Amino acid sequence: MAKEITGYVKLQVKGGQANPSPPIGPALGSKGLNIMEFCKQFNGRTQDKMGMVLPVVITYYKDKSFDFVIKTPPAAILLMEATKLKKGSAQPNRTKVSSVTWDQVRQITETKMPDLNCFTVDAGMKMIAGTARSMGITVTGKAPWEENN
Amino acid sequence: MNHVELQLTLSPDYTDILMAELAELGYESFVETDEGLHAYILEEDFDETQLISLLAKYQAFSAIGHSWKTLERVNWNEEWERSYEPIEVGEAVRVRALFHAPDERFKYELLITPKMSFGTGHHETTWLVMNEQLSLPHQNLDVLDVGCGTGILAILARKLGAKRLLAFDIDEWAVENTRENFSLNSITDSLAEVFQGTITDVQPELRFGGILANINRNILLNEIKTYVQHLLPGGWLVVSGFYETDAPDIIQCTEKEGLIFERMNTRNQWATVVFKS
Repeated sequence: MAKEITGYVKLQVKGGQANPSPPIGPALGSKGLNIMEFCKQFNGRTQDKMGMVLPVVITYYKDKSFDFVIKTPPAAILLMEATKLKKGSAQPNRTKVSSVTWDQVRQITETKMPDLNCFTVDAGMKMIAGTARSMGITVTGKAPWEENN
Repeated sequence: MNHVELQLTLSPDYTDILMAELAELGYESFVETDEGLHAYILEEDFDETQLISLLAKYQAFSAIGHSWKTLERVNWNEEWERSYEPIEVGEAVRVRALFHAPDERFKYELLITPKMSFGTGHHETTWLVMNEQLSLPHQNLDVLDVGCGTGILAILARKLGAKRLLAFDIDEWAVENTRENFSLNSITDSLAEVFQGTITDVQPELRFGGILANINRNILLNEIKTYVQHLLPGGWLVVSGFYETDAPDIIQCTEKEGLIFERMNTRNQWATVVFKS
């Protein structure tokens, strides 16, 4: 028989960095869930996304057990990541720039497409480019729909 | 380690953007609210001037209100801890709290009051490491517990005959908790030492017959080289805290440092690997 769901908790936590402090501590602890267990699991599953903000939806059950789903990062987070250019493998330091290319916008759109309220990639790209502009990030080059003009 | 809770009231159009910007400033986690966003940062990393300058960038386009308060660290895990079930590892080990009755069928009973520290045996990795400890020599060995949490692995090491125990954790609560649990298990001698820090704080000349490290993949990959430097010839290293999909990387990294793969065990996709020098 399926376990009886008591509720859901939605948080945004940096990959590999869950700890029992707020908001995780009070959100899960008040429901009698084992916070340390959640942190170990979340950190174990996000070692390859260290430091990236990840939405996580935790389902908790009447027997105090839980499971959780990690979603794709918000578009603004992906845009911020895209502005950090890797300066070659010999130099792990990153330099921040304030622009992204349309190719990067396309990649972000494709990652986020399931969550975007639109039907085509072009429409999604326009939404992501709008977010970029709101953040002061310029999109360089010609948009794909402008190329034939 | 107190945290600051920043409360922002803002339009939903700006929630994700502010989250991304605040993450860059060191904010660790977020909760979306009906009014906007709550963001959390270590008190020592909170910089109000930097925050106001960031908000000003967006206040030109949209109204954003903010307030903040410091949250004292408390034991958020208390509710779970006061009713946790005892854990058995094989036929010899039982981990229990003070509120459980003793069970004399078990050769080793470990008393653990976790106080928001990791390590009660409920998690697969703790259970797996303890299970490995039962078949590894401990008698008269010096044992190092890396990232000790509640101190549970070091406590079992002593019950299995280890002489000197050195345990450390980066978290101050874990250090205090390990001391409490050592005391609960009558480990009060000067050969059992606990400190707050990382592997780089262990004196370079110290050597151990056994090293226990239940942490995570990235930290292990960074630190295994140092663990090996602290291992006596013929000693053993037990690592855990990663999924079995990450085990090949861990094994390759450890073998590169000259240790010999002994065995791997898994439980619900979590892995524990034993190496010998």
